[in-house]
Amino acid sequence: MSANDSNFHVEQAGASDDSIQQVHARLQTTKPEKADGYSKLPLVLLGLMCAAIFFGSIYLAHYSLRFDPLVYSEQASREKPGAVKIVPLTRAQLGKKVFDTTCITCHQANGLGVPGQYPPLAGSAWAQGNEERVIRIVLHGLNGPITVEGKEYNNVMAPLGAALKDEQIANVISYVRASWGNTAAEVTPETVAKVRADTASRTAYWTAAELEKIGK
Amino acid sequence: MNSSANNRTEQMEIDASAKWPVLFFFGSALLWLLLGGVMQLAAAMQLHQPGFWSGCEWVTHGRLVPAAQNALVYGWGMNAAFAFGLWLMARLSATTLRHGGWLFIAVKFWNLGVALGVLGIMGGYSTSFELLEMPRFVSLILLAAYALIGVWAVTTFSIRNTENVYASQWYIFGAAFWFPWLYAIAQVMLFKAPVRGVLQPVVNAWYAHGLYNLWFVPLALAAAYYFLPKILGKPVANYYLASLAFWWLAITSAFAGGSRLIGAPVPVWIPTMGIVANMLVVVGVVIVALNLFGTLAGRLEAAKSSLTLRFILISIVSFVLAAVMNLALSMRGFAAVVQFTLLDGLRDWLTFYACFSTAMFGAAYFILPRLTGKEWRSVALVKVHFAATALGVLLMVAGLTYAGWHQGQLLNDAAVPFTDITKAMSFWFAYRTVVLALLLLGHVAFLLNFVWIACPVNSRGTAAATFRPPPDLGLARKEGHA
Amino acid sequence: MKNGLALFFGVLATLALSWAGLLLTAHRQIGALSQFKDPADDMLYPQPLSGVADQGRLVYQDLGCVTCHTQQVRQHGFGHDLAEGGRKWGERGSYARDYIRDRTVLIGQSRLGPDLRNVGTRLGDAKPEEYNEWFYKLLYAPQSVAAGTNMPPHPFLFEVHPVAGRQPSAHALALPAKFAPGPGLEVVPTPRAVALVTYLRSLKDTYDYPIERTRNLPAPKEGGH
Repeated sequence: MSANDSNFHVEQAGASDDSIQQVHARLQTTKPEKADGYSKLPLVLLGLMCAAIFFGSIYLAHYSLRFDPLVYSEQASREKPGAVKIVPLTRAQLGKKVFDTTCITCHQANGLGVPGQYPPLAGSAWAQGNEERVIRIVLHGLNGPITVEGKEYNNVMAPLGAALKDEQIANVISYVRASWGNTAAEVTPETVAKVRADTASRTAYWTAAELEKIGK
Repeated sequence: MNSSANNRTEQMEIDASAKWPVLFFFGSALLWLLLGGVMQLAAAMQLHQPGFWSGCEWVTHGRLVPAAQNALVYGWGMNAAFAFGLWLMARLSATTLRHGGWLFIAVKFWNLGVALGVLGIMGGYSTSFELLEMPRFVSLILLAAYALIGVWAVTTFSIRNTENVYASQWYIFGAAFWFPWLYAIAQVMLFKAPVRGVLQPVVNAWYAHGLYNLWFVPLALAAAYYFLPKILGKPVANYYLASLAFWWLAITSAFAGGSRLIGAPVPVWIPTMGIVANMLVVVGVVIVALNLFGTLAGRLEAAKSSLTLRFILISIVSFVLAAVMNLALSMRGFAAVVQFTLLDGLRDWLTFYACFSTAMFGAAYFILPRLTGKEWRSVALVKVHFAATALGVLLMVAGLTYAGWHQGQLLNDAAVPFTDITKAMSFWFAYRTVVLALLLLGHVAFLLNFVWIACPVNSRGTAAATFRPPPDLGLARKEGHA
Repeated sequence: MKNGLALFFGVLATLALSWAGLLLTAHRQIGALSQFKDPADDMLYPQPLSGVADQGRLVYQDLGCVTCHTQQVRQHGFGHDLAEGGRKWGERGSYARDYIRDRTVLIGQSRLGPDLRNVGTRLGDAKPEEYNEWFYKLLYAPQSVAAGTNMPPHPFLFEVHPVAGRQPSAHALALPAKFAPGPGLEVVPTPRAVALVTYLRSLKDTYDYPIERTRNLPAPKEGGH
């Protein structure tokens, strides 16, 4: 039987446990003797350890981004937290959130509305025109026939003056006026407040005819 | 006291005291290996044949994968680790395993816990945290069973008859404490008093990395440090550095869990710390490589013709490879591409299967004849096992590295629709299934041999083993070349 | 090392060090992260899940969806998850604050399937009734809405029963003939499926927290810094 095969039936031990422990215990405390008095290995290892710690520290310092709990990107700015001013969102960007919760179901995400049912806001002269009219529509709602971009719509838009605050109304109108190719100026909460005060006694829905009289 | 004959007698007593607990642990481990392997194979098949086993809720892909992983890690991995760790601790402490009856209870409870856990996952009670998917109550059973086993390992160590503590003992001792602490803390922080928000994945990453690198890897290293001098009859090279490696690896591996969270919505210092830890781990790995490969130097032929050392060779090469892979995956540019791909899974597979499981196979081939007094009946099956394992590891590493890279490139190319990625990867999913089937074949071969050597009825036909008394280890003339 | 006690304390110290350094520190930093109050509408973000959506989260967890799907959108500049030049899996990267409402945070590790963090926003212009239908079809017969996918079918989330002369259920799925169960049969989602789809549709991190947004802006490219 070949040596290989007998090995494969049972593995013979090459050393006793006792001697393994004793010999290694001795080895642990005695460094190997070298011909020329010193061994390169500990120096190489020491160098490796120092290099690892050195590069590791640099990496840690550079990419920990000041241990800031709110930074998740290693490419973010390394300025002190206070040094970076908060970049506020524009009114139009804030308005998107209101639009997505309130207006999107009828006027749709692309602002095109539903043909025959809900008028489009994209490219609409009504939306980009006199802000006094737009604010009134949002505050008190609209019913009756209205012509938008050459097509006639006759539906009901519910009033939102009670549900939305001035700031939200200003934001959402600004969003509509800046999206889908619209290029009208934004609306401020102060204007909304003024219109709300001006029409404080109004409870009925607006009609297109009434609105056309406002603001010429 | 050091004469070979005396040593042999002592060792026979130790082996006899350890026989039945170790056999039971190892037998359960093998059964879980087969069961988990079949489940893993089925789950792998589901990746390219999504309709396979899809009608039954118990084996839907999302439940089968964690069930298989838990069966393999806690069923095969932990049981094999217990078997090996207890035996080696007894041997190196030169004391018998006392009151082994308690260990029988521990085996039963551990297996009960794992079975309940795996069934719980398949039944829909998974917690969905990686490696912690088992339902909460199971953790109590497992910790109770572990307490018995861990206490046994530690008390065996504390009543040791030896003056000296060998490297393998440090690793087993460390692992014996690290695992229950990792597990208990993770259970508390995730389930008992859950932490808020993204801290949960942080705890999970710490646990998963700790389980692989502070339990399974130390046990694999304990095997390597023991079997190399034991079989080659040559002391470990540069052994005076071994304790440095132990502490270095202990500290740095524990911090490396954050590297699993690169790009995640966690404060960026956490993955950075993990990356730095992975860089530092390299030093410890270099030292261990110096120890182990230095010992092999000049004795490679002897190692290759040794049954145990063939497996240990795969294990230590994989250990180094796993560290390299961890380091590579820590490079942000590379991670951005290959995160979330097959390569990520390969990293853990390398540690658990290619490093730890192969070491356990090697250990088993050495230990079992000594416990049972019989030799391995079929050399052909042994060769099948080794060939399947070696080839399987090679194919898996090579194939999945490429596949992961390819998948990552496709994932990051927004012009490629997602279903096209699936089509491109279906070859590699099938490849992975075939490799897993190959590995399973090797395990079946091993199980057959195990049954013939260990089961009282089946082993009657197996020849008795004869052991030559081992010589004393000599200090080599030229020691530890730099 | 001969001293068992010294070994024990060393072993304890190494783990304690990483627990304190990694987990404890992280906990002190973000363990008490709370909702952010928007000054414009006085609402707290992120908002909690509805009851049905929370039940759906449990279904997501028990079916192991995290095995193949992640729920983390990577930041700008790291990978290509975002809108420009990317997979449009979100308008911005995910922040820690997005997850504080989730009782189990399953950010996932594997993208065998797409990222799901903002899947509630991805059906764009489709009508709300169509969203649900798309998800149900995806769960019942994934190939019917995503040909070539390897997502497993989940028929056990649905009930297939004969129509048997009654009015067909309003919730029955309109499946193409290849995937339909057969003549006279209809497929109706079970409450588990309804909960799961409600959960999936609730997955949208659209609120843009001003502080996180500012702190995570890519640093301006400076020469020679």
